[in-house]
Amino acid sequence: MDAPNKDMNSSKSTASDALPNLSSWRQYKALLRKDIAQEFRTKEMITSMGLYGMLVLVIYYIALSRTGTDFDITTIAAGLLLLMIVFTSMLGLNRSLIHEHDQGQLEALLLAPIDRPIIFLAKATTNLLFLLVVQLVVVPFFYVMFVSGSMPILMGDVTPGPWWKLAIALLLGSIGIAGIGTLLATISVNTKGRDFILAVLFIPVMFPLLLVLVAALNAVIVGGTGYEAEFWTMCAAALGFNAIVIAAAYGLYEFILGV
Amino acid sequence: MKRELQLALILAIVGGLLTTIAFVMAFTTASMQHHNTVVNAPGFIDTVYELAPPQLQPNPPDGTVNYHNPWFSQKIFYFHVPLAQLSLLVFTIAAIFAGLFLKFRDPKYDIRSRIGMETTLLFTIGTMISGSMWTRASWINSWGELGRVLLSEPRLVTYTVMLMFVVAYFVLRKSVEEEEKRAVYSAVFTILAWIIVPFSFAYTRLTQEHTAHPTDVLQQGMDTSNLIPFIIAIIGMMAFGYAIYVLRVAEERKRAQLALIKEDIEDKLADL
Repeated sequence: MDAPNKDMNSSKSTASDALPNLSSWRQYKALLRKDIAQEFRTKEMITSMGLYGMLVLVIYYIALSRTGTDFDITTIAAGLLLLMIVFTSMLGLNRSLIHEHDQGQLEALLLAPIDRPIIFLAKATTNLLFLLVVQLVVVPFFYVMFVSGSMPILMGDVTPGPWWKLAIALLLGSIGIAGIGTLLATISVNTKGRDFILAVLFIPVMFPLLLVLVAALNAVIVGGTGYEAEFWTMCAAALGFNAIVIAAAYGLYEFILGV
Repeated sequence: MKRELQLALILAIVGGLLTTIAFVMAFTTASMQHHNTVVNAPGFIDTVYELAPPQLQPNPPDGTVNYHNPWFSQKIFYFHVPLAQLSLLVFTIAAIFAGLFLKFRDPKYDIRSRIGMETTLLFTIGTMISGSMWTRASWINSWGELGRVLLSEPRLVTYTVMLMFVVAYFVLRKSVEEEEKRAVYSAVFTILAWIIVPFSFAYTRLTQEHTAHPTDVLQQGMDTSNLIPFIIAIIGMMAFGYAIYVLRVAEERKRAQLALIKEDIEDKLADL
């Protein structure tokens, strides 16, 4: 009579005692491997994001086809690049959690002896990884199509900064997008209007980061003398924003997994 | 319930009365603000100098004054600033209730947090309307060439983000059907969104760079004739906002009771 009761009370500790003691790092690696393997099999996120990014470039091409040779595209290139990244990443973020939700993977993960913050970190890392892979393909295309061949750069009126600075700005932006996007996508997959709700929640939260990011990208693309100070200021601001908001997302993720 | 209604009614009347008094005082007893006369803050005028076109400034360089009635638009200060400050305060209270909900999972905190957000929306829209009126008078144009300058003004950016947050909050609430999920998601989103508030509040108080919001006026102290209507307006609007809050909380409680009674009746009808 007493024994099963005791077992019920201490079921939590016995369950974790019975299983091999997984360190956080191993849990993290296992989750990462699961997501990457899944992506390799379905290729759903990267292909859809990459294709969508390319289509956005085509639309830019159409939209800018009547601007003529006097038009200085470098003044809006940072904005165009940002637009493409935001659209493609929102598409990808939505995709990244639909499987988890529709196939009941999230419940399975919650049953497994994994710390909840680890789930957030692993999911955010894979999202970041996929975002970076897509950008690695799409951003060079954008650069060749719209920036490096544009009149002011060919004439030497505008000298852009080095490419690795562009990469730093994009990396900082992607970290923020992946970190907060994971939290908001987990909320939005459980709502009625998934894609729409993600956009409604995502854009206000990202607003400061996007503003800073476009300034940093603009500083690199327009270049010239003295752009470095603005670039590094904006990168520091992006870093600060990421630190604060991702810390908040990390702390809050536990609550939304619980319901 | 009856006591709450009485309290709300009294608060609403007192708040409305005080706001009206502040309105009258702002146009009668409060002294007009001129450059270097009442407010001894050069930054106050300088930021406006940078933004507005020269011919429309209080004292244009060529000596002619095209801007009729200098600083008449400043009268909106007595409503714009209290509304803005209270919107940040109510948002903070809503975020505290959201945190309490996540800790204790008591539905009453969820209701309070939501009503706090409703009040925030009201105050935020008020701030936006009065702010755009003031912008039109003082900075001349909000959405033209100058608008692009103002778009990177930190106060406007952070406050616009806040309005977007509050609207997004209600969109989120509408789109989740399960009650507990809705409460948890909206509490999490409230706390995430609240992060913008300290930035919005502190930026212009820490530095005057890149900003056209002259908070140094508040810090350097105002003339007594200006300070009194300002404080009266704050108290009046706070009372009015609290009256709305009390009324809405009472309404929600009645609604919950009504739902229970309905269930009860349905059960009894099913038994028959």
